[in-house]
Amino acid sequence: MKAGIFVATFVAALTGVAGAQAPNARDISGYWELTYMDSQHVPRAQLSPRVTRAVLDAQTQKDFKAVRWCNILGMPAIMASPRPLDIRQTEKTVVIAAEVNAATRYIYLNRAAHISRDVFDPTTNGDSIAKWEGDTLVVDTIGFDPNKGVTAIPGGGFRTANTHLVERYRLLNNGSLLSVRFTWTDPGVFRTPHTYEFRYSRLPRDYEARLPLNCDPFDETRTAFLTARP
Amino acid sequence: MHVKVFVAPAALMLMVGALTTVSAQRSAADGARALEGGWVRLDTSGSGSFGGLTANFTRAALTPEGAAKIKPQRDPDDVDPDNRPHKAGEPYIVTQGRCGGFGPGGVEPNSAALFIIPTRDEVLLTREGPGARHIFTDGREHPPLSRISSAGLGHSTATWDNGDLVIDTVGLNEGGVTAGGWRTPETHLTERYHVADDGMRMRITFTWTDPKIYARPHSYFFDFERIPADGYAFENWCDSGDPLQRQSVVPPEQLP
Repeated sequence: MKAGIFVATFVAALTGVAGAQAPNARDISGYWELTYMDSQHVPRAQLSPRVTRAVLDAQTQKDFKAVRWCNILGMPAIMASPRPLDIRQTEKTVVIAAEVNAATRYIYLNRAAHISRDVFDPTTNGDSIAKWEGDTLVVDTIGFDPNKGVTAIPGGGFRTANTHLVERYRLLNNGSLLSVRFTWTDPGVFRTPHTYEFRYSRLPRDYEARLPLNCDPFDETRTAFLTARP
Repeated sequence: MHVKVFVAPAALMLMVGALTTVSAQRSAADGARALEGGWVRLDTSGSGSFGGLTANFTRAALTPEGAAKIKPQRDPDDVDPDNRPHKAGEPYIVTQGRCGGFGPGGVEPNSAALFIIPTRDEVLLTREGPGARHIFTDGREHPPLSRISSAGLGHSTATWDNGDLVIDTVGLNEGGVTAGGWRTPETHLTERYHVADDGMRMRITFTWTDPKIYARPHSYFFDFERIPADGYAFENWCDSGDPLQRQSVVPPEQLP
């Protein structure tokens, strides 16, 4: 009997990366999907007086160019993906891979400070570091490129080189929902910090990711559709 | 009494031997910890060029049926309308500048960093752009080939073998394989990810198996080094709307 228990324990230790684990409030690994429109609670942003109609129009033109030429989308568009996000967490990182045209997000748990601005080349996703506060993963991001990707922020406004984003990830409903509260701060864009929440539904364990949606910048039909005057 | 004295040490030695053998084995958790992180492909043969990296690989031994499948291939993005020699320092169009061919670029790593994120159910292989390879380690089997849609990446499952990650992939679209090989959706690709004891080097051994195509399994490997501890993922940028995207890097002055 004892030998049997020993063998069973021994085999269990050798199988699986971490063996069978109970749902863990501090592990957000899984496939997550924004299923319904009511999973997005987005108030209108309070924009700075400096953000005039002309400024917004210019920014819209930039974003249109990014879509027209199939540029990578970046933040925050990746988090509003119409297809599931694959979020994988280890002790060192949280990685978010999308099925849309957006570079994979890398969020570092093993780094307490941002990479020096002297070193870091701004990107569409920025430089993200994170730590756990109780059961909430707090992600802090700076280092956005104001000229690459789709810069529009849900509720109004856009990211710039000075934008600071804090995201708070928390599992709800026994791990079947993932709440992410986004708070954008940028004195040049927002009068007050702009906060909204997305809730993602966990997909079944047998979900299998598909290749990202293709985008052909030289597809004449697509180009005609995008550039046609209504 | 005499027999008992003899048997007890023998049993003890067997037990110690068994435990010693077990401790020399690397567990899946050990393997996952060693594998996690960013890796950059090395040019261990000192070829100094992309093409040269695989030039010394053993060529695939093809069956007659396999040899008949080989078709000349050209990179569809490789366009040089001039099709003539260019003077040193003269920029010229080399690609269509087509961005948006999303995905991590197939199953074989290139010179961009490769990131490995092992978790309980899945190992994620990512690069510095969109898309990822999703490697299932939860014991699931491959679906029927007719249900595999991610042609460029196929469907991948994996197990851990003495700390090595061993990936099996099917469902890849038909096309060429490094060093004169060929593949169809039925072809099996086995990849073994092995991290050296010092944790700083990794070898990925590719083995292609298909009795219709290969007279014997077609195998080769790439070596990688771990990115520094304070390293991080870059982000590839590609803009089809930028005319310079389509040009070559301006060639340097050539030696006569």
